[in-house]
Amino acid sequence: MTQQPSTSPVDDSVPKVGGEVAVGENLPFQRRWWMFERFIWGFFLVLIVCDLLGLFGQGWLAKARATVPDGALRVDYERIERASTPSTLTLHFGPTAIQNGRVQVYISDSIVKGLGAQRISPQPAISAIGDKGISYTFAATHSPAEVDIQLQPSGVGPHAFRIETPHEPPIAASIFVMP
Amino acid sequence: MAASTILRAAFGYLFLVLIVRVAGRRPGRQLTPFEFVLIFYLGGLTLTGMVGTETSLTNAICQILTIALCHYALAFLRFRSDAVARVLDGVPLILMEGQGWRKTTMSQMRIEDDDVMNVAREQGIRDLSGIRMAVLETFGAINVTPKANENRD
Repeated sequence: MTQQPSTSPVDDSVPKVGGEVAVGENLPFQRRWWMFERFIWGFFLVLIVCDLLGLFGQGWLAKARATVPDGALRVDYERIERASTPSTLTLHFGPTAIQNGRVQVYISDSIVKGLGAQRISPQPAISAIGDKGISYTFAATHSPAEVDIQLQPSGVGPHAFRIETPHEPPIAASIFVMP
Repeated sequence: MAASTILRAAFGYLFLVLIVRVAGRRPGRQLTPFEFVLIFYLGGLTLTGMVGTETSLTNAICQILTIALCHYALAFLRFRSDAVARVLDGVPLILMEGQGWRKTTMSQMRIEDDDVMNVAREQGIRDLSGIRMAVLETFGAINVTPKANENRD
């Protein structure tokens, strides 16, 4: 015996306009949706302005600078980075940082791991590991002297780091990596 | 990391659904937001930040499966709930009925009377007086119902 397909009564549930045409308009919902649209377009605009200002990295608000009191070391970096996006952290050494034709600087592990240090320029003469970081020694003549560290962070979230030169207080700061 | 690629794919899909929905309906017979999202997303997947640096086949397959699952879940919710269907698809909107134009609807949906007349002409209606009702459908098309004694060519 052939099984019959199941059926249900035709129920005309779509509201009609003028009792003639079934349209199913829902103006109260639509008015709420238009309000939501106005809000969401405003929100999108705020996001774009924040982005242009650098709140999500790569802009004016993202740039940061930290200096030790006597100017032996200054660090220019971006306090907000974007994941998998290259950026540069620059170390500026003052005259007191150069001793016997050399500059020595210690950077914490977080710059290499969390913040994804890809390259250091110029190449250090000596690299030494220990104390949860790396100590680099560069040959240097006169101030100003700069070292660039190319970063390409992979881990999202805050990453605290520490940079210091001998006999100077450390520079400790944090970089937030956006997804 | 596998979890982050899955989350990126799901977020990308839902974000595009929102964007296409908010960008709104435009007059003309066009793809539904669902279809547009699928084509746009799948086509652009390999070129967007959703993939990141993970260009393996495994990653691509897992992300496509994630998108398919999200699409299925939204379609299921849309089928089960009228409220979800309204949010995802919108509702039909009357642009013109016997008494005249719905000015607020027309301006909010950025539709002009010319757009309605274009559709009316396709049905052989010569002028606006021959239109009983014009409706903007959820998929973006304008449907025109002629008057019983309409002015037709």
